[in-house]
Amino acid sequence: MPAVAIDHVSKAFANILAVNDLCLEVPDGTIYGFIGPNGSGKTTTLRMIMRILHPDRGHIRVLGEETMGAANDRVGYLPEERGLYKQMKVRDLLRFYAELKGFRACQPAIADWLERLGLADWANKKIETLSKGMAQKVQFIASVIAKPELILLDEPFTGLDPVNLEVLRNAILDLNRQGATVIFSTHDMAVAEKMCDFIFMIYKGKKVLDGTLEAIQNAYGTDTVRVRLDGASSALGNLPGVAGVVDFGNWQELRINPGSDTNQLLAALLARGPVHHFELARPTLHDIFVRIANPEPNHA
Amino acid sequence: MRKMLVIAVREYQAAVRTKTFIISLVIIPVMMLGSLVLQLLLRGVSMDTADKHFVLLKHRDTDALVKHLQEEINIYNTKDVLGSSGQQIKPRFVIDRVEETAATSDSRDRQRFDLSEQVRAGTIVGFLEIIPDGDLPASFKEIEKDQKKVPILLRYQTNRPTYKEFSTFVKDTLAKHMRNQLRDQAGLSEQQALALFRPVALDPKGLSRIDPDSGKIVDASKEGQFAPVIVPIVLMMLLFLVVMMTATPFMQSVVEEKMQRIAEVLLGSVTPFELMLGKVIGMAGVSLTIAAVYLGGAYWAAWHFGVADLVPAGLLVWFVVLQSLASLMYGSLFIAIGAACTDMKETQNLLMPVMLVVCIPFFFMGPVLQEPNSALARGLSFVPFAAPMLMMARIATPPGLPWWEPTLALLVVLATTILCVWAAGRIFRIGILMQGKGARLGQIFKWVIRG
Repeated sequence: MPAVAIDHVSKAFANILAVNDLCLEVPDGTIYGFIGPNGSGKTTTLRMIMRILHPDRGHIRVLGEETMGAANDRVGYLPEERGLYKQMKVRDLLRFYAELKGFRACQPAIADWLERLGLADWANKKIETLSKGMAQKVQFIASVIAKPELILLDEPFTGLDPVNLEVLRNAILDLNRQGATVIFSTHDMAVAEKMCDFIFMIYKGKKVLDGTLEAIQNAYGTDTVRVRLDGASSALGNLPGVAGVVDFGNWQELRINPGSDTNQLLAALLARGPVHHFELARPTLHDIFVRIANPEPNHA
Repeated sequence: MRKMLVIAVREYQAAVRTKTFIISLVIIPVMMLGSLVLQLLLRGVSMDTADKHFVLLKHRDTDALVKHLQEEINIYNTKDVLGSSGQQIKPRFVIDRVEETAATSDSRDRQRFDLSEQVRAGTIVGFLEIIPDGDLPASFKEIEKDQKKVPILLRYQTNRPTYKEFSTFVKDTLAKHMRNQLRDQAGLSEQQALALFRPVALDPKGLSRIDPDSGKIVDASKEGQFAPVIVPIVLMMLLFLVVMMTATPFMQSVVEEKMQRIAEVLLGSVTPFELMLGKVIGMAGVSLTIAAVYLGGAYWAAWHFGVADLVPAGLLVWFVVLQSLASLMYGSLFIAIGAACTDMKETQNLLMPVMLVVCIPFFFMGPVLQEPNSALARGLSFVPFAAPMLMMARIATPPGLPWWEPTLALLVVLATTILCVWAAGRIFRIGILMQGKGARLGQIFKWVIRG
C-alpha cells in the first residue's frame, strides 16, 4: 500500500490552477523529493496531502485513509513558512506539539532529540532567544517528535549552514531507516539527488518528472559532455552537434543532439585549444530541472 | 476533543502566565476604587478658587430680593468659602453689576444677547434674572402647571451648565428668604414654621428576614435596599468587562499567529475548527478566572462586612453559566475576525458591527433594571446577543424570575453560541491561511454560507 496516493487531483485559487490533474504514488518507506520552480504547486500539493487544503477534484489517500478534514496523528509536517510561539520555552513548545499529536509520554523523546540536534542547553530558553537555524531545528523536532509514519517537509534545508544541513539530513535518513516515509520539497538538486529514492517534479501545476534518479536520467540518455577548456566562452561557439552550452566558469556542460559524434566534437574542441577535461555524462538533476523550467539554454 | 483541550490549556496558560494579565487584573479594580477614593478626597477641595463674576438683571418689585441676595453673598464670601483651616477652598461670587431689565421684549432680547457675548468672552460666568410673579413669561406656563404657583422665577444663563454652585446658592437663599417672609406674615414662631415646612421623610428598606443561626427576625438593613440596584449593575458590567478583557487579546493573538506563520504549523496537527474551538475554550477559561478573582474578592468583602447574604450563591452559579456562554459566543466572533484579518488595523473595521451587538444590552439597561418584568425587558432578555447580560441583570433584580425564563434564555444563548462557533469555524478555516489582504465583510459572509 502506498503511503500517499494522489489520484487526478486539481486545485485552483481564484483563476489560477495551482495543481492540474495530478497523479502520484509515494511508496511506503521511501524518501520522495518534490522539486519544481517557485509557484509550481509543490506547497499546495503538500498542504493537500496534509488536508490543510482540500482538492477541488480528485482523491488523496494518506496511509490508506481518505478522511477529509481530520489532521492525522501519524503524519508529521514542517511547513515552508516557519513560525513558533516566541514566548514559549523550547521544551514546553515541543511538549505542546507532541501532545497535539497524542504523544503524552514525550519527555524522553524531547530530551533525546534536543541532544541529537545540539539543542540540549537551550531546552529551557525561550524561542525568541534562538538563532534562525536553531529555531528551524526546533521546528523540525516538533514535526517528528510524535514518531510519525509519514513525514512531510517543505523546504527543510533552506537557510541552514552546511553543518546544520548535515545534522538535519542525517536525522531525516535515520527516520527513514526506522521505517518512516519522507516527502520533502527542495530547491537543492544536489541534496535531492543524494537523498531521494524517487524524485517528482511539478511545473505549472502539472507533473513533469516522476521516478528514480536513475530512471529519469536514463530517459534523457547520455546527452551531456562536461569539459574544461582554456577561454571557454570564446571556444564553445558553433560546435558540431551541440544543442546548448551551460558555462559554470571553471567547467562547461554541452548538451549534444541525439546521434551526434562525440569524437568529432572532441576533435573540434582540440582544434580550438587545449582540452583539460572531456567527459561523457548523463544530465544532472539540476540540468534536467533547468531544461524543463527554462527551456532556452544559455549559448556561449 | 483531546486536541481542543491541549490548545485550550496552552492558550489559557499563555494568557494568565503573563505579567500583563496579572497587572491588568489588579489595576482595573485599583483604578476603579482609586477614582472613587480620589473623588471623595477631592470633594471638599475646589481646585479653582478664582472669583466667579456674575451680572444680576433686576425686574420691577425685586429690589428687596436683590438686596437680600447681595447680603447673603457677602456672608458667603467671607465665611462659607473658607475651609476648616481658614484657607479659601471655594471661589467667591462677585456680582459685577446690577442692571435694570430692559422694558420691551426686543430690547430685553438684545440685553440678554449682549450679556451672553460677555459670557462667551469669559468676562462673566453667567447672568441671573429674578422674575417676579407678574412678569412670568408665557413659556413658563407649563412649569407653572406642574409646580402649581411659583412666587418668582430665577432665569440663569451660562455656557457652563455643570457649574451649579452659584445657581443652587441663589435658589436656596431666596427660597429660605421667602419662607421666612411667609412665616413672619403669618405670625408663626420659628418652631411652628419649621414644623410647617418639614418635609415627609422616606426611609427605603429591603425585606426583613430570619437569621438562620438565632432564628430571630432581623430587620431589613440599609444595604438591603441598595443591593437590588447595585448587584444587577455590577454583575452586568462585570460580565461585559470580562468578555472585553479576554476577547480582544485573543483576537490579537490570532492575528499574530497568522503574521508569524504559526497557524500553518498548528494546522498540521489539528483541524481549523479544533484550533478555533480550543482557543475559544481557553478564552472562556481566562474570563472565568478573571470573574472568579473579582467575584471572589467582592464576596469576601461582602462576607467581611456581614452582607454576604445579599448575593445568593444561586446568583453566582447563573453568572458562571452565562459568563461562560457569553465568552464562547462573543469570543468565537472576535477570533473569527482575527482569522479574517492580516493586521490589527483591519480588525478595527470588522469589529465595529460586533461591538455594536455587544453593546446592545447597555442601550436598554435603564428600563430593564427599572421594570425587570416588563414586556420589553422580558423580550430583550431572549434576544441572543443581549440575553447573557440582560438576563443576568433580571435574575439579580428582586423578586426574581420564574425558572423557565432563565432556562429558555440559556437555551437561546446556547443555540446562538453553537451557531456562532460553527460560523466562526468556517471563517477561521478559510481566513487563517490567507495572507496579504484581509477579508471584507461581504466576503466573510460568503465564507460562512458557502463554506
